[in-house]
Amino acid sequence: MVLSSIGLRNFRLHKNTNLDFSKDLNYIVGGNGQGKTTVLEAIYYLCTTKNLNQNQDSEAVSFDEKHFEVKGHFRDLTENITRIHFDLETSKKTYFVDEKQTYRASSIIGKFPVVTLVQSDHAVTLGAPAERRKLVDSIISQYSETYLIYLLDYNKTLRHRSALLSKIRELNDKSLMPQLEAWTETLVKMGLEIIKHRLKFVENFNEYVCHAYNKIMEKKENPSIEYNFMGETRESEIEGKFIQELNNSREDELRRAKNLIGPHRDDFHFYINHYELRKYGSQGQHKTFQIALRFAQFFYMKDRLGRTPLFLMDDVFGELDANRAKKISMFLREIGQAFITMTDLTKVESIHIGNTDLLIEIENGRIVNA
Amino acid sequence: MTIPEPLEILIEELSKLPGIGKKTAQRLALFLLRSDENYISRLSDSILSLKTKIRQCSICFNITTTEICDICSSPKRDRSIICVVEDISDIIAVERTNEYNGLYHVLGGVLSPLTGRDVDSIRIKELEERIKNGNFKEIILALNPDTEGETTSLYIAKLFKESNLKITRIARGLPVGGNLEFADEATIGRAVLNRVTIQ
Ligand SMILES: [Zn+2]
Repeated sequence: MVLSSIGLRNFRLHKNTNLDFSKDLNYIVGGNGQGKTTVLEAIYYLCTTKNLNQNQDSEAVSFDEKHFEVKGHFRDLTENITRIHFDLETSKKTYFVDEKQTYRASSIIGKFPVVTLVQSDHAVTLGAPAERRKLVDSIISQYSETYLIYLLDYNKTLRHRSALLSKIRELNDKSLMPQLEAWTETLVKMGLEIIKHRLKFVENFNEYVCHAYNKIMEKKENPSIEYNFMGETRESEIEGKFIQELNNSREDELRRAKNLIGPHRDDFHFYINHYELRKYGSQGQHKTFQIALRFAQFFYMKDRLGRTPLFLMDDVFGELDANRAKKISMFLREIGQAFITMTDLTKVESIHIGNTDLLIEIENGRIVNA
Repeated sequence: MTIPEPLEILIEELSKLPGIGKKTAQRLALFLLRSDENYISRLSDSILSLKTKIRQCSICFNITTTEICDICSSPKRDRSIICVVEDISDIIAVERTNEYNGLYHVLGGVLSPLTGRDVDSIRIKELEERIKNGNFKEIILALNPDTEGETTSLYIAKLFKESNLKITRIARGLPVGGNLEFADEATIGRAVLNRVTIQ
């Protein structure tokens, strides 16, 4: 899939910006606050209807304006024009594919796949387990609608079950226990599906991470992701383990009125040469791992979906040494179309810019050179 | 121009109906305004009689104009089999398939602790009572395949674990996340025929 052009109206600093893109690498260059990340933000809106940095939609409306609009032209086997409109007064966001309004964001999942590599990615290797679950869930959900449905159902089950746990605690009413049993059974059923999907995913994804990591790293290392459910990785044993752990924690769960067991507490562990990244990784290894994960996500999604995602990379080159910057710019050649923001071109002379690549310079929301 | 109050009120009331927006409500109200008086009184009578003539069947909680509904009083229905549904609209959906000839039980909801719905707020006690006093051989659970429906099915199945009843759940021919009410008849028909045994 290729995004051939985009139009921004009243979108942050961009009053009226039209851009034609290269089908290869698009370098968007500009100082801080000149509106370069905004272009990525707009592209992300077109693919997902959501904000790239989970900001409020209202923040993207230009100062003193009442709405924003972004329009994009995608080319794949067919051509699609997507358009998103946000009205400040009513807070209403409308999304159109080929001028037909789409009412559910979930109906476009996987249709315009996009992979992002942004500053906040450091949280994936350094942050809490929730950050890693978010990454894994977002990848699997893009190609498996079943997984997404199980995930939504599972989360709803968690909320029902904790409401019931609270009620049992509050009323000290043991006659509610058979109902808790029924909710526990649903929890296990849904949770089991999530665990199975995650096991399968990690098994397949590892190869992609390894490949990407060694493309960026100068010397060969062996990165891996490990996942288990409370120490168990054998699919046939997980249900038993799940039920047993729930039984063991029953008293605790009732006392705290909280769901203590299940895949909502999962973590994914990153290793390099069998040393845990969190404990032993250098800053450079963390950075490389974060970048490798996104490249791996790109190639994995491409294989699973049979469509090429767009690749958005926000200001990553700035913090890399020349050697790694060069490796990454070479690796980007294998991607196809990518959108890369940079503060300063002179700083990274090692980046190879080809004939078909595009260099876009942005100043104060205007294109000064494209 | 200000709209005369009676018309304004009618538009307001009509727009409370499901699927009716302000514009449609206005069109309907103007249509009624132009209609002849006979039609208007037939329409308003029929709306009123919804509340005055229709009530709940005292056995299965289906809607009926008599004490006991057509299905419960029919000698042709199979009294050894009972189909548990959430809502009256589900009876209509299953009946339209012509694949089922047993009795029904309308729960009037499903378990949902989040909205404060537990066993006592749906008609599970009534179901237990009916099972105890009847001669049922099979219970079919035809609840929506969402988390609440599934959990309610599990709960009911557990409730009759010690009995000799056969307990089945309608097969998942239904689209995931889909509601019984909106599934087409063929799909529901197949789902009822291909029900799976949980006990
Ligand atoms: Zn009846």
